[in-house]
Amino acid sequence: MPTFTYNDLQFSLEARGDRWDLSCARPDGSRGLAGAGLFPGLSEGDALARANALARTICPVGIRTVGPDVNHPNTIGDLKIVGPDVTHPNFIYWDKESVSCPREL
Amino acid sequence: MEIKGSVALVTGGGNGIGEAVAKHLAKQGARVAVVDMAQKNIDRVVKDIQEAGGEAIGIQANVTSEADTARFIKGTLEAFGQLNIAVSCAGIIRDGTMLSLDKETGKVSKKLGYDKWQAVIDTNLSGTFLTLRDAAEAMVNGGWQGLLVPISSVNKAGQVGQINYSSAKVADALMPKIIIGEFLMRGIRNIRCVAIAPGYTATPMLTGMNQDALKAILADVHLGRLVAPEEIASMIGYCVENEALNATTIEITGGLCYPKGIAK
Repeated sequence: MPTFTYNDLQFSLEARGDRWDLSCARPDGSRGLAGAGLFPGLSEGDALARANALARTICPVGIRTVGPDVNHPNTIGDLKIVGPDVTHPNFIYWDKESVSCPREL
Repeated sequence: MEIKGSVALVTGGGNGIGEAVAKHLAKQGARVAVVDMAQKNIDRVVKDIQEAGGEAIGIQANVTSEADTARFIKGTLEAFGQLNIAVSCAGIIRDGTMLSLDKETGKVSKKLGYDKWQAVIDTNLSGTFLTLRDAAEAMVNGGWQGLLVPISSVNKAGQVGQINYSSAKVADALMPKIIIGEFLMRGIRNIRCVAIAPGYTATPMLTGMNQDALKAILADVHLGRLVAPEEIASMIGYCVENEALNATTIEITGGLCYPKGIAK
């Protein structure tokens, strides 16, 4: 069964007739179907490439916000600024949960 | 438009009316994108569709987010290559009267929180707008036959205790006329829009409510029972197939009446 990893999500493709089912193991241990009956007639390699692209589209990328680190604030003059680093290149949200990176560690 | 071979996207597809719509369209041969906030519900619906021999993908998303909306539209196209039907079922309620009075003094003791107003407007109105806007964009650019389905409610007529919900749902009911008028002006002829306004429907939201209150509601329904989600789904399937249905809002209530027998 072809598998691939995207962020901390483990995906696997399973043939069903001439189609493919895409399942996903999540960081919390749950497992679910991301898609059923996909990519009719495609070979395993082509289906895997399509599944990879699909996973990258439908699964949001998040960041782990650790902090705020009140002991090491950024400062502008007398102003002390505490907060998470939001300059991660994959940054999408900083105030919402994502599937792969829940806000609460 | 035929359901078989088409691609449908259903927000709020993880339970209630959305789940019934997703399963109905999949059973009729559509490939379905199930969009919901709750991953467990998505997994269950996609699994059910799989076991029935259908085709589906599940996408966890928040319809109030523009980024999420773009993501689930793109994901649908990535999986199935086209989009033909968009049903905006995602909705919430946060009921309460605008003002509550103290029984002894007659003065206002409580106001409906702005958070309760905004959350319902965000999900039931703005979420519907974003879903339909981006679905229409894909349909126009792809040149596919399409149907946009906002879900309104019979309470668009105005329900005490639902100033937020009724305000959103009456706006949803207006969308077909505005959208199709615009499409006519723009020369967009491949996309229709039909809103559905369900009455009291047997969703987990209602069947779990106080049974005495439910009994009081049913006393005003000519049908004598709640509308089944599958009956709403069946109506949407009919809307897909009947191309003369357009720019309108269809009520499906089982004959909901005001007390003393006046049809609502």
